[in-house]
Amino acid sequence: MTGGARRTLADREGALAWLFMLPSVIYILALVAVPFALAVALAFSDVTVGDPSFDWAGWANFARNFDDPVFWRALGNTFLFTAVSMLLIVVFGKILANILVADFRGKWLIRFLVLLPWTTPVALSAVAWLWLLDSIYSPIDWVLRRIGLIEGNLNWLGEPTLEMVSVIAVHVWRLTPLAAVIVMAGLVAIPREIEEAARMDGAGFWRRMFEVTIPLTLPVIAVAALFGAILTFTDMTVVYVLTRGGATHSSEVLASWAYIRGISGGDVAQGASIALFLFPLLLAAAIAILRAVRRMEVT
Amino acid sequence: MSSELTRRGFLGGAAAVTLAACASETEGPRPTGQAAGGPQVTYAPPTSKLSGDLTILMWSHFVPSHDAWFKGFVQDWGRRAGVNVRVDQISVNDLPARIAAEMQAGQGHDLLQNITTLSQYEPGVHDLTDVVKEADNRWGKQLDLCRKSSFNPNTEKFYAFSPGWSPDPGDYRKSLWSEAGFPNGPATWDDLLRGGAEIKRRKNVQMGLGMAQEVDSNMAARACLWSFGAAEQNEQEEVTLRSDAAVAAVEYMVRLFKETMTNEIFSWNAASNNQGLVAGKLSYILNSISAWRTAQSANPAVADDIFFVPALRGPAKALAAQHVMYNWIIPRHARNVDAAKEFLLHYTANFAAVTYHSRLYDLPAWPSLVPQLNGWLDNDPFGAKPANKLSLLKTAVDWSVNIGYPGPANPAVGEVLGTFVLPNMMARAARGEATPARAVQDADREVRRIFDNWRRRGLVAG
Repeated sequence: MTGGARRTLADREGALAWLFMLPSVIYILALVAVPFALAVALAFSDVTVGDPSFDWAGWANFARNFDDPVFWRALGNTFLFTAVSMLLIVVFGKILANILVADFRGKWLIRFLVLLPWTTPVALSAVAWLWLLDSIYSPIDWVLRRIGLIEGNLNWLGEPTLEMVSVIAVHVWRLTPLAAVIVMAGLVAIPREIEEAARMDGAGFWRRMFEVTIPLTLPVIAVAALFGAILTFTDMTVVYVLTRGGATHSSEVLASWAYIRGISGGDVAQGASIALFLFPLLLAAAIAILRAVRRMEVT
Repeated sequence: MSSELTRRGFLGGAAAVTLAACASETEGPRPTGQAAGGPQVTYAPPTSKLSGDLTILMWSHFVPSHDAWFKGFVQDWGRRAGVNVRVDQISVNDLPARIAAEMQAGQGHDLLQNITTLSQYEPGVHDLTDVVKEADNRWGKQLDLCRKSSFNPNTEKFYAFSPGWSPDPGDYRKSLWSEAGFPNGPATWDDLLRGGAEIKRRKNVQMGLGMAQEVDSNMAARACLWSFGAAEQNEQEEVTLRSDAAVAAVEYMVRLFKETMTNEIFSWNAASNNQGLVAGKLSYILNSISAWRTAQSANPAVADDIFFVPALRGPAKALAAQHVMYNWIIPRHARNVDAAKEFLLHYTANFAAVTYHSRLYDLPAWPSLVPQLNGWLDNDPFGAKPANKLSLLKTAVDWSVNIGYPGPANPAVGEVLGTFVLPNMMARAARGEATPARAVQDADREVRRIFDNWRRRGLVAG
């Protein structure tokens, strides 16, 4: 009865798959591929804020970067912020995930509250932190003074070391919930029998943690770490809102320096060449994420 | 005719009510006496028939009553001139990115305003020489610092139109400085060091000259350099930063930091010194009058204790940078250039109202436009105690110069300003990351690199 009927779109799996994927493809092309291609073109041009006409500049912008001490400082800071943040995000994310998978009253409320830093727009939360760390009005300093731990304000954003600590702390604060949710997904996927078998064999909490839980969730932890790294590595908002790169560029990162050079300074091409330095590392990170995900699929 | 009078009356009343509401909440006392209504807005018909839309992008003024007045003012002009006007006012922090985005996209507003030099935009904007010439014909000679902030002598192009500016006096707490032996505040950079150190020692109240990547730090660094006889460029736009005078200025700032300030100044943004002064935590800052205007409502006792001094005298000169320099540009993508130019002339013609509604924050580039100015400065309509607190601003033109002085505010100067080369030079020495001589040397190298880059594009002489 249906043998002779004409095939509809719903029957054509290939076409249907493309149709469903089309919005994502358009989105990625318009908001990722086109701006990326534009950034590459700008980096090899002499475009300024007032003159968008494209003239080929070759590698001149990159050469100027290598000769710029601020660029190297920003590159070093970017790596430092990323490495330390990633480590802390993974550790705290794992701890938080362990807490959130446990059964206790009000678990859903706690989960909701824990996720808030991640769901809050980063510009908004960075401004909130700017006030929390203010040199005059900081409530953190006020509390520390009241309980007698400090005498005067700490200048969180004025001392080079505290400035770095503050930036890292805000990154960790906002990205730990994301890591926790990712790790949680891995934790709940571990078959209960394995956990119970280890317990029956007399394995304690730490042994189960390091010999059962962590090995089984390692790919998921890797994904969390890589997401944390990428989101820290590419972020400009936290640094720009908190320190604007800091006096003497003490907390400058590549993203903020690209903005200052390209927009505030007016040399768009130079700014693009600074921003493009992020690309090879982000590409490597993206490949690593995809491989980790693939490994998870295989296992 | 009668309908126009009614409308004018309505707008005037609405503006007064709005001003009063703003004044009672955020801006200190309401205006009193004859000046309560502000100057009458005048209207001259455009030289050619206008039509269509005009879109304007500008900053949200530090004095909110200006914006409330401006919206009514611009709509009134649009109705009379037959132009449908839309004004978008955004935070000054967001303006650079927004203007850059519109210029790159080749579309957006017809008229763009910023409060600092826009010289980097010269290749992408209309020449406004005809507007400036017309303004000169009507109102006399434009102030030199405004002209140098909008005219490129190499291309002989007015890339921007600067109808007004704001000075950058020293704001000091009289009670603190009186106890330190300076009842009239510091007059020299040496006074600043001695008095500031004494106040910090006695009262633990610090000085407020920033050394961070923000606009007030930029202005403070320049004021110090000029007063010591140094500058980033000369009149011929040749880089001159590396000099004994510059090293002496940096050495001075290191001493000033060590004896009068704390690491707090390295973390500041543009609002920090205002907040510190209003909170009573700073003895002296370099800023416009807006910090004090804010204090008039937020902390009246502190406001009454805040007084002003002109540019401090150094070994060479007594000069300060302008605080705000209004730059209006008409991008090439503008669709209604005629209306934009006519509006600029209308706005400038009414600068007395601009000055008044900005609470004497905005001063005119053509002084003849505001004959009442000295009277207002001697007898502040907005509740200064004493009423002549701002009278020193009568001579502000004599001790204020443009960014890039003694040369013009060219694109290289704009990039040096926008990338904070000079405050970072001061901060490196103050933090001990480099000796003053090395800090000047490194900054000079960076300034030369920037100048060479713009010189290749034909926008900088030398």
